[in-house]
Amino acid sequence: MRDTIIAARGLSKSYRRGSENVHALRATDLSVGKGEFVSIVGPSGSGKSTLLHLLGLLETPSSGRISLQGRETSWLKERDLVKVRRGSIGFVFQQFLLLPTLTVEENIELPLLFSRKSVNKDRIAGIMEMLELTHRARHLPHQLSGGEMQRVSIGRALVNEPGIIMADEPTGNLDTATADKIYSLFKRLNEGGLSLIVVTHNMELAGRADRVIRLRDGQIISD
Amino acid sequence: MNIFSLAAKNLMRRHVRTGLTVAGVAIAIAVLFSLLSFNAGYERQLGGELNSLGIHMLAVPKGCPYEAASLIIHGGVIPKYLSYSDLEQVRKIDGIEIASPMLLHQFFKDDKPHIVYGINIEEQKALKPWWKVEGRYFRDDETGAMVVGRSLAEKENLKVGQVLDFGPGKVPTTIVGILERTGNQDDEFHFLPLAAAQHIFGKEGQLTTIAIKVDDISKISAISKKLEQIPDIQVVTMTQVMGTIMNLVGSAQALLFSVIIIALFISAVGIINTLIMSVNERTREFGMMKAVGASGWDVSRLIVIETLIITLAGCAVGLTVALGGSKLVEGFVRGVIPYSPGGELISIDPFLILVCIGFALAIGLLCSIYPAIRCARLTPMEAMRSDLE
Ligand SMILES: Nc1ncnc2c1ncn2[C@@H]1O[C@H](COP(=O)(O)OP(=O)(O)O)[C@@H](O)[C@H]1O
Ligand SMILES: [Mg+2]
Repeated sequence: MRDTIIAARGLSKSYRRGSENVHALRATDLSVGKGEFVSIVGPSGSGKSTLLHLLGLLETPSSGRISLQGRETSWLKERDLVKVRRGSIGFVFQQFLLLPTLTVEENIELPLLFSRKSVNKDRIAGIMEMLELTHRARHLPHQLSGGEMQRVSIGRALVNEPGIIMADEPTGNLDTATADKIYSLFKRLNEGGLSLIVVTHNMELAGRADRVIRLRDGQIISD
Repeated sequence: MNIFSLAAKNLMRRHVRTGLTVAGVAIAIAVLFSLLSFNAGYERQLGGELNSLGIHMLAVPKGCPYEAASLIIHGGVIPKYLSYSDLEQVRKIDGIEIASPMLLHQFFKDDKPHIVYGINIEEQKALKPWWKVEGRYFRDDETGAMVVGRSLAEKENLKVGQVLDFGPGKVPTTIVGILERTGNQDDEFHFLPLAAAQHIFGKEGQLTTIAIKVDDISKISAISKKLEQIPDIQVVTMTQVMGTIMNLVGSAQALLFSVIIIALFISAVGIINTLIMSVNERTREFGMMKAVGASGWDVSRLIVIETLIITLAGCAVGLTVALGGSKLVEGFVRGVIPYSPGGELISIDPFLILVCIGFALAIGLLCSIYPAIRCARLTPMEAMRSDLE
C-alpha cells in the first residue's frame, strides 16, 4: 500500500440556515494515497464541494480531523494553515477566479508573491509550455477561451509545486471537447506523480480516474 | 510583480471610481489646506502689518478705542480731537522717541471713501524708514503740495506734477510725489503737511491722534500708563488693536469655517463609504488569493496599500490645486471677511503640508483597517462566499 497524502477521520460540517442546521457532510472517513487520482461524484447538494473545501483546508470542519502528509492540522490556526495550504495544495475553481488585470503569466505567478518565492522565469515558461499557453503569456483573461482560462488557473495551482491538486467541477463551465483536454492534462500530471482530487458531475470523465467516490446526502455511498 | 503593482493594477481596473475617489479626497484636502493656510497667514500678516506701521501706540481722544483701531487700519474719522497742549504733555514723558501728531480726514468721491493724512513729514519718515518716493516729499511748511500712495495713484491715474482741486475749498494742490508700494494701507492714502491739512478742512489746532514710538519696547506698558494720566487721552497699543481686529474677524471666520468643516465632514463620510464598499465588493477575490496561498496579513496589506494609494494620490492632487489656486481662495476670503490685511493672506507652511498628508493617511487607515482585519480573519471559503449570497 502506498503512503497516504491526506487522511480525514469523522469529518463533518453543518451550516445554520435560519433556525435549522443543514448537515452538508456527515462523519466521513477518507484517505487518499500519494499519486492517486480520485474523482468525487454525486448529485447537486450532496456535499462534494463541502468535502473538498474541508480537505483543502479552506474551511474549518464542525468536527473531525484531517492530516496532510502525516501532519495533523486540526489544531492549527489560520496563520499556520496558510503555510500548509501554500506548500502542499493547489486549488482549481469552476469559475477560474483569475485576476482580470493580470496577464496570463502574472496570474500564474500570483501565488509566488504570497509565498515570497522568487520568480523562476524558466519554470514559469515550462508550466506555460506544458499548458500550451506560451503564446498567451501577455494576454489578459478576458481575451482567453474558457479552456485557456481553466489552464491558467491550473498553472496557478501548480506554481508552488504542491503534492496534491484539488479541483471543484473544473470542467463545469467548459464544452465536452475542452473538458476532455483538461482531463488528459490531469492524467498527465498524475502520471508525473501528482495526487489529484477532482469533483465532477460528469460520470464519463470521473471514470478516467483511479478511483471514484460517490456522495449522497453528505455521506459516502460507494468508494 | 509586487504587492504595490498588484494594488495599482487593481485600482486601474476600476479607474472611474478610483478617479472619482481621488478627486473627492483632493477637494477635501485642497479645502482643508487652504483653510489652515489662511488661518495661519491671516494672523501673521495682520501682525506684520501692524508692525509695519512703525508705531507702538496711538494716543487718541478718550472714549473712542474702537474707532481708533479701525482708524489705524482703514483710516477713518473720530468725532473728537486732541489739542497741541495734549501733544506738549505727551512729549514731556520720558522714553518716547517720537510723538508725531496727525490729522485724519475722510471725504467721498464717486461714493468711494478717500482718506487724507495730515502729517509731519520728518517724523513720519523716521517712523517708516522704508518709505521711498517717486518725485519728492513736501516740506512741513509747504502749502498746495501732497504725496499719494501707489495704489491710489494707479486707481485714479495720478501722475507726479499733476494738480488737483482739493478739499471743500477746491484748493489747487500739486502731487509732488508718489510713494513706492509699501504693501500696506499707506498705498491708499493722500498725505499732506499737517498745517495745510488742518487749513483745508477747517481743523486748525486740532489733532486726530498722536502716533508714538518708544525707545525701548519693554517700557510700552509703563509709558502707556503715564499717557493715560493725561485727562483727554486714551492709549491704544498695537497689541490691543490686533486683539480687537481678531475679535471682529473671529465671528465671521467662525461662521465660514464651520460651514466648510461641515462640508469637509460630509465629503469625508462619502469617501469612507466608497473606500469601504470597494473593499467589500471584492471580498471574493481576496478569498481566492487566500486559497492560493495569501495570508491574512498579505490581504490586509493589499487592502491598506490600495486605500492609501487613493488617499495619498488625492492628497498630492489636492495640495497641488491648493498651492496653485491660493490666489483664488484669497480673493474669495477677502470678500467674506470684514477686515483683511494687505499682502499674501495664504501662508504656505511646510508644517501644514504635513498636517494634510497626515489627514490623508488617517482617512486611508481609518477606512482600510477595519475591512482589512475583517478580511484577514475570514477563512478562504467564508471570504469567497461573502458576496455570492
Ligand atoms: N455556506 C453554506 N451555508 C448554508 N448551507 C450550505 C452552505 N454551503 C453548502 N450548504 C449546503 O450544504 C449542502 C451541500 O452543499 P455542497 O457541498 O455545495 O454540495 P455540492 O457541491 O455537492 O453541490 C447543500 O444542501 C447546501 O445547500
Ligand atoms: Mg459544489
